[in-house]
Amino acid sequence: MNVKAYPTAWPYAEAVQKLARRWQRQQLISAPQMEAIKAAYPLSYYRPHVFIRVGLFVFTLFGCCAAAGLIPGLLGFQNFNFILLALLCAGGSLLLLEHLIRESQLYHSGSDNALLYFSLTCLIFAVFYAVGEATPAPYRASFSLTNPFLLLALLPTLGLLMAAVIRYADRWVAAVTYCTYLLLVAGFLLQFAAGRLVLSFAIMLASAAAYALVLRLARRPDYLYYKPCFDLLKALALITFYLGGNYLVVREGNAALSALTVSRQVPFAPLFHFFTAGIPLLYIVVGLRRPHRTWLIVGLLALAFSLYTLRFYRALLPPEIAATLAGAVLISLTVWAFRYLRTPRHGLSAAAEGDENKDSLLNLESLVVAQTAHAPTPQPRGFEFGGGSSGGGGADGKY
Amino acid sequence: MSCEEIIADLTARELLPPAQAAAIRDYERTRPFSLHYELRTLLYLGIVLLSGGLGVLLYQHLDELSHGVIIAGLVTILLACFLYAFRHRAPFTWQLAPPAGVLPDYLLLLGCLTFLTLEGYVQAQYQVFGTRYGLALMLPAVLFFALAYLFDHRGVLSMAITALAAWVGVSIAPTSAFVRNDFSSVDLSGSAILLGLLLLGAGLASERLNRKPHFAFTYISLGSNLALLAATAALFSYQRAVLPPFAAGILILAISTFLVWYARRTHSYLFLLMGVVYGYIVVTYGFFQLLDFSGGDWFLASLYFPLSAAGVVFLFKNIHKILRQP
Repeated sequence: MNVKAYPTAWPYAEAVQKLARRWQRQQLISAPQMEAIKAAYPLSYYRPHVFIRVGLFVFTLFGCCAAAGLIPGLLGFQNFNFILLALLCAGGSLLLLEHLIRESQLYHSGSDNALLYFSLTCLIFAVFYAVGEATPAPYRASFSLTNPFLLLALLPTLGLLMAAVIRYADRWVAAVTYCTYLLLVAGFLLQFAAGRLVLSFAIMLASAAAYALVLRLARRPDYLYYKPCFDLLKALALITFYLGGNYLVVREGNAALSALTVSRQVPFAPLFHFFTAGIPLLYIVVGLRRPHRTWLIVGLLALAFSLYTLRFYRALLPPEIAATLAGAVLISLTVWAFRYLRTPRHGLSAAAEGDENKDSLLNLESLVVAQTAHAPTPQPRGFEFGGGSSGGGGADGKY
Repeated sequence: MSCEEIIADLTARELLPPAQAAAIRDYERTRPFSLHYELRTLLYLGIVLLSGGLGVLLYQHLDELSHGVIIAGLVTILLACFLYAFRHRAPFTWQLAPPAGVLPDYLLLLGCLTFLTLEGYVQAQYQVFGTRYGLALMLPAVLFFALAYLFDHRGVLSMAITALAAWVGVSIAPTSAFVRNDFSSVDLSGSAILLGLLLLGAGLASERLNRKPHFAFTYISLGSNLALLAATAALFSYQRAVLPPFAAGILILAISTFLVWYARRTHSYLFLLMGVVYGYIVVTYGFFQLLDFSGGDWFLASLYFPLSAAGVVFLFKNIHKILRQP
């Protein structure tokens, strides 16, 4: 049996056609050549428009849950067993998933994602339930990270998730796998008294190791099959590396672990100040010099979170003045950048890269404006620094 | 690098002559890295922060600042933005105008937001509009509609629609339409449905009459969302609503059908999703109203969800076949 659920020709054809479209926009290849490439590398899978994928995902997941609700009725309630139910659901949806990939050529098209997540959720539930049944009752009571019972359940979960990533190459499963791995590292360290002291450094180290591993794996010939996973994992590794060294996360995390209501100063505080200030700048500089979009975007988000960290402990300005100043600075900076990069410099440019989806992007942008840019309703207090979701809304458009 | 491999592969399969492959390699190596969307997002974030911050700042320090300075400052920003956008505008057309560029587009938005701040300020300070709040809310709507058509700007159009909705008394922004409006008030629900239908009509008309046909998406998405939410609220209402539940259900089904048809015609699949979800809610509600739970209908009810979900998945999957274009 093949390890990979989807044919490797699909991601390859996808990559070829994407590149060819870019070359055609630059008039590096002619239209007949484009047709020849399309014919040689056909997209033979089914992947509809993103909004249809959302619909397929939601209704498939909904249908799975509803069908699972029928099973206890069919089995009879008297010899009811949660593990059996979970295994039946997982087995059924996995079989259906494999069948649909073969027969309907689904390839990350909503329904297959939903079936995969549903069966994995069932399996993980079964693992946790079985481990819970097998351990003494006092351990079951809490889901605290210091609880060794959690480690026992997380280990098989990690194996399960890794197997799923290797077979289905789903990026969100890869993300959950990564989080499980970090939880395991943290849970293991917290078994020891000294663990808490080195926890943040261990998280940073584990993130760096994961990034290095992804870079190594990306040299494999089947790189394209796992590209969505690798891209997301790189971003996540950068994010957790930053959060591991962020002063706010370290201080409040320590307080939460010691069950304190008010956080205390942490050891090595100057080092964490340095990380909080330095890592975002490092990311942005690397992102612009290499250039690498993931580093740049994570760097910008990290910078915003670092500013939030600063405000959290030392509010230098009242929020409305901070927002006004930040807005003025951002506007001047971007206006300058747009003018400076009108002709490409240092390998950077301000021009849009191809305008395939320009029209639908403008349409969606008008909804973002409707959501975020209405009349400023003055609020006496509780005005949130950050101006709503517009930043995220705009950033989404580029993927 | 995979790009290099793909070029080599295409050359080997004789889909690319070697000379062309060399040109493509050259292009891939020297291609500049585009910061367009990052800069655009930051610019928009800056505009929202600045106008939001200014609005609160002026409101909180109403008594401490000199009115003349504030008004002069706001008018300067306003005029600078509008003048810049005006100088860079494309000549007026009823069709899609050539893009004016990012800066003119976004500065026009900043100008519109500053206008709202300025209007709020002079009203708070001098009561220019007295108690004629309707006029105060109508003025930005009229101005923004004019600007949207003049500058061919969909963002300003959506601001105009939000301003119009504020004049009617409802909140139309995609999520706050759900959270902020109290549809249990009969008046509000009625005017929300009417305004939604009006916007739907405006969207269709702009397409049919070929007057800014690309504005249709904004009109129809905001309008149908408002009308559908208000009608759904009427459907679930226990009190006397503006529409009886049956009429509300029919209205939702009609709008949903329209959206599905429209989505198929224009390939705007957001509308397809909206139409199917709202349609599903009504059909499910109707089905459960018909069931008799004192009898043996529990079995039917438990079968309904898996089967109907499978049906919707089938519909999505075969949408192209089911709604084949004439």
